[in-house]
Amino acid sequence: MSEKAVEIINLVKRFGNFVAVDDISLTIYGGEIFGLLGPNGSGKTTTLLTIATVYKPTSGDVRVYGYSVVSDGDKVRKMVGIAFQESKALGIDKPYDLLLWHAKVVGYSGEEARKVVKDVMEDLGLWEHRNKYFYQLSGGTRKKVEIAKVLIQKPKVAIFDEPTAQVDVVSKHYLWDKIRELKEEGSTIIIATNDMFEAERMCERIAIMYKGKVKAVGTIKELKDLVPLGDTIELELASYADQHVLDMLSRFGKVQGLGNKVIIYVNRGEEVAVDIIDVLRRSGVKVARIMVKEPSLDDVFFYIAGAKLKEEIS
Amino acid sequence: MVCMSSLLKDLRYILLLVQWDLMKIVRRVIFVAMRATWFVIQVVFFGPVIAHMVNARGIGLDVSSYYSFYLLGVYTSILFTITASRAYDIAEEFEEGIIEYQLSLPMNRKILALGRAIGSGIASTLFTLPMFLTVIILAKEFDLLAIVISIVSALIFSIAISGFVLTTTLSIKSSDATDIIMGVLDAILVRLSTIFYPAVILKNIAPYYYAAIINPLSHLADLLRIFYSFEEFREIVIANPEAMASYILGLFIGFTVLAMYVIEKKIEGGGWR
Ligand SMILES: Nc1ncnc2c1ncn2[C@@H]1O[C@H](COP(=O)(O)OP(=O)(O)O)[C@@H](O)[C@H]1O
Ligand SMILES: [Mg+2]
Repeated sequence: MSEKAVEIINLVKRFGNFVAVDDISLTIYGGEIFGLLGPNGSGKTTTLLTIATVYKPTSGDVRVYGYSVVSDGDKVRKMVGIAFQESKALGIDKPYDLLLWHAKVVGYSGEEARKVVKDVMEDLGLWEHRNKYFYQLSGGTRKKVEIAKVLIQKPKVAIFDEPTAQVDVVSKHYLWDKIRELKEEGSTIIIATNDMFEAERMCERIAIMYKGKVKAVGTIKELKDLVPLGDTIELELASYADQHVLDMLSRFGKVQGLGNKVIIYVNRGEEVAVDIIDVLRRSGVKVARIMVKEPSLDDVFFYIAGAKLKEEIS
Repeated sequence: MVCMSSLLKDLRYILLLVQWDLMKIVRRVIFVAMRATWFVIQVVFFGPVIAHMVNARGIGLDVSSYYSFYLLGVYTSILFTITASRAYDIAEEFEEGIIEYQLSLPMNRKILALGRAIGSGIASTLFTLPMFLTVIILAKEFDLLAIVISIVSALIFSIAISGFVLTTTLSIKSSDATDIIMGVLDAILVRLSTIFYPAVILKNIAPYYYAAIINPLSHLADLLRIFYSFEEFREIVIANPEAMASYILGLFIGFTVLAMYVIEKKIEGGGWR
């Protein structure tokens, strides 16, 4: 892969005695969309704020293109832009004023700033809200203002903390497209989310966080392969699935039969499915339909975080 | 060349941070109106009454001189109160996440601190301009040079206090503690100073006098008085003009450097109580 954009090295962040981030190490490469996935309180925001130099590490370090957040904060801040989880504005602020000010701070001249702010606000459907007070804006609109800041800034490393929480479904997809465009223009993207769907749609690699620790890192495919017997193959036979057929299939994995339907729990479903069809054809059993299903990211998450989590959540 | 351009960039950041504070004061009209009303009542109704009473005790000033003395004292106290009240704005900004936002911006933290202190000082001084003009009119003093030097001194004083307020508010990270500290400071500093009583009177009460000598409010109030009526007040102020000007300048340098150091080294987001 390409060069290291963000390197988190044994990062620990404590608030008093409470350990919010517990010795995590991660590498995020230039140009990728990386996801931090985990339930509320798992330490995602704390990690992101440390990358953005808003928090100081208790121990360990974060390097952004080689520069340490501890000793080279100025250089790091020039490369990082963040859309916060909670919108950062006073009730008396107006989106246009705030974004114009932001645009100037991140380096646009007056004329350019007005233009880019108008473009981005129109693009995100914020223009009609430009002169409202923040307290008059819906949660979703406030979120869009946060995201607009980063889209205006086009930082080398763009951080989005739960970018589409509280955002309606249509806007959600639009914002995802915008974030992807930012990546196409050369930014490295880091997204924190507790939305499995968002993680699956957006992220090329994911770190699963739980209680301040990173439990697993990888592409979605790699994470799904971690779940033992996580794939399911559903067969619909032309005839009743008798015991003989079920026994024959049981060597591929755990088997359940009901009427002419059979479900088999396996690893690497796509490969196994071919063998199954082959075996059935040779013994003269006709297959009406076959379907291979991967585990969902939820399954991965529950597997990794453990059954205990499942109890806590339900 | 590189050095020059980075200096210009820093200057631009400072201007933008000043603009940040100016954007806010426009929206605090009610607060300003209340303060201004209080001020006018104070100087128009109570001022003359107090001037007569004080004169009766015989300080060595006539009634109209004491009234001018008093006007510049009240002006100083209101400048201080308004600057100190920036603490509540900063507290509000912390609670609303603005401070975290600004900590994430691509600028040097020292510049951030300096810009916020200057911005806050300018905003506070602007707040008090109508009151200052009222003072000029009531005191019937229209010396342009004196007016300009006074406003500059007021500004430097206000930036110094802003640096202090920024440092303490961001360090203690608590709305309640901020309330208490600023309230107590305001009460003590205004009283233990030459705001209402000339230093010559305070000399009779030693602890009061020494408190007034180290109190920045005494120095600004007396400096402003000197700018307007040099000879008359010279005998009764807390120190010679050079000393008072140096004190305020020292305060300005000390507190802005403190704010720059603390914000760069110590301040981070989170943990507001
Ligand atoms: N400033 C803070 N002070 C004290 N505790 C905090 C602070 N910020 C976060 N925490 C705690 O740290 C844990 C992780 O929080 P956070 O990073 O916000 O998680 P996430 O973003 O994954 O929901 C939570 O238990 C939270 O209560
Ligand atoms: Mg969070």
